[in-house]
Amino acid sequence: MTSSAYVAGRGQAGARSARRLERRRLLFWLLPPVAWFTVFMLIPYGMLLYTSLGHVDDMRFIPGLSIDNFIRVFTVDPYLGVIFKSARIGVMTAILSAIVAYPLAFYIAFHVRSARAKFLLYLLVIVPWWASYLVKAYAWKTILGSGGILNATLQGIGLTDGPVRLFLYNEFSVVLTLTYIFTPFAVLSIYAQLERIPTSLIEAARNLGADGWTIFRRIILPISVPGIVAGAIITFSLAFGDFVAPVLVGGPDSVMISNVVINLLGVAFDWPMAAAIGVVIIALGLLLISASGWLEEKTQTRF
Amino acid sequence: MRAFGNPRLVFTMAMSVLAFLYAPILVMMIFSFNDSTYTGLPFNGFTLHWYRELFTDQQMLFSIWNSIYVAVGVVIISATFGVPAAIALDRFEFPGKGVFRRIVMLPIVLPGIITGVALLGFYLTIHFHLSLHTIMLGQGTGLMCVTITEVFARLQQLGRSQTEAAVNLGANEWEVFRHVTLPGIRSALFGAMLIVFSVSFDEIAVTFLLTGRENTLPMTLWSLLRREVTPEVNAVASLVVVMSIILIVCGMYASRRQETSAGES
Repeated sequence: MTSSAYVAGRGQAGARSARRLERRRLLFWLLPPVAWFTVFMLIPYGMLLYTSLGHVDDMRFIPGLSIDNFIRVFTVDPYLGVIFKSARIGVMTAILSAIVAYPLAFYIAFHVRSARAKFLLYLLVIVPWWASYLVKAYAWKTILGSGGILNATLQGIGLTDGPVRLFLYNEFSVVLTLTYIFTPFAVLSIYAQLERIPTSLIEAARNLGADGWTIFRRIILPISVPGIVAGAIITFSLAFGDFVAPVLVGGPDSVMISNVVINLLGVAFDWPMAAAIGVVIIALGLLLISASGWLEEKTQTRF
Repeated sequence: MRAFGNPRLVFTMAMSVLAFLYAPILVMMIFSFNDSTYTGLPFNGFTLHWYRELFTDQQMLFSIWNSIYVAVGVVIISATFGVPAAIALDRFEFPGKGVFRRIVMLPIVLPGIITGVALLGFYLTIHFHLSLHTIMLGQGTGLMCVTITEVFARLQQLGRSQTEAAVNLGANEWEVFRHVTLPGIRSALFGAMLIVFSVSFDEIAVTFLLTGRENTLPMTLWSLLRREVTPEVNAVASLVVVMSIILIVCGMYASRRQETSAGES
């Protein structure tokens, strides 16, 4: 309560009216977003839960209160397997994006001096977003494919005789494409964390005789953990739910969980099953948010 | 001195990452000029054919316009409802704050398809006609967390002393917002709007499920890429990148001029 302190001297009546005023100010800001999220999230999610408890008979939805669909998610192939596989692709993408993003974030945070150059580089990181995601994924097909640029180069310099088919249509190409597309998110979140590090901290370490590598390992890397975690959670989530890369650059068996949901809706007309998968993923998402909040609290440094 | 580590090594690594980020875009731009119906080597020769094709493709031009329309709506929604949410989270303690924060952040970690399925079921139940506006509402809900986190982070940096001073001097909530909060968060809000616009412009998962008869640009490209691929796709994407760079530079220039004139007065 920010404003109750200054009227406390006026006695209890004043404090009470200040609290009322404070509540009115709170509602002024809080009500619109709460109303929005109730209508466009809580109600739809509630209906999703309701749908997941029913079943489909002869392409008609029959409401019910059965947890059969949830049992199927965890026992019937391919659901659980595909969820695990999507998670594996998500984890690999998150790790790779962090590794790729770190040097660029580091450079912008520590080596670029002028604010103008920093902002320019920040924009250079954002601009690749604007190029269509689909076209970028397709560009990787052009680079990695058997008639692609990579193979032409390899053959040109005589490293291989024929085209190498290992680059495309497998999990590697899916992870590479997803890493490419989501790396900007990792750069921005790691950069935001590195930018907070006060210059005095680095100067103090240097004055005490630390060399560059020691400063990085003992000070900068531990402080950057929350930024890395925040970026990793975003890249993991985006990769986990992706359905484009598996179709464009993935192999015949590289179906991910979003593809399964789309097939359930469009081909099998099994809404309740799709809804059950949705509910499971929403629960996993809430868990992930709680875990990330806890991790950030644990690892964040106050200056 | 803030910089440490071997400057040449750091510079080289950073530039390799930038090269990685731009290589596919360069590939796409180069092949948009290739005189071949196939996107790939060999490079047959320079042509503007695909750009001419693009400007006569009514469906493509419509879908670009639709994407801009949707993205502008999404930016407006996420700013109108996201800024109040950030202010409420920053300035007040209230019961259920933890829950509210989790719900607001949920769309960030959820696959767009799940958000789409939930909203599609909702729309179908209340017989809401699928159109560009249903996409707008869905994306607005999903992207609001971007505005909230960016603005919230800035508010935390600003601290409360100015707001409290204004309140003590008798300013009402709107005056506090207009004269204290908004000037403080302006650049963070601008950055958030930029990100929201670009993500919305390229969004496909929520759009895939909520689209009606009119298509956005990613949906049109998706159907093109799944059927036959013509380098026209490369031409559209190249144009969008060039347009976005121009827009960003203009936006930067405008905000810089506004800031310097505000500084002079």
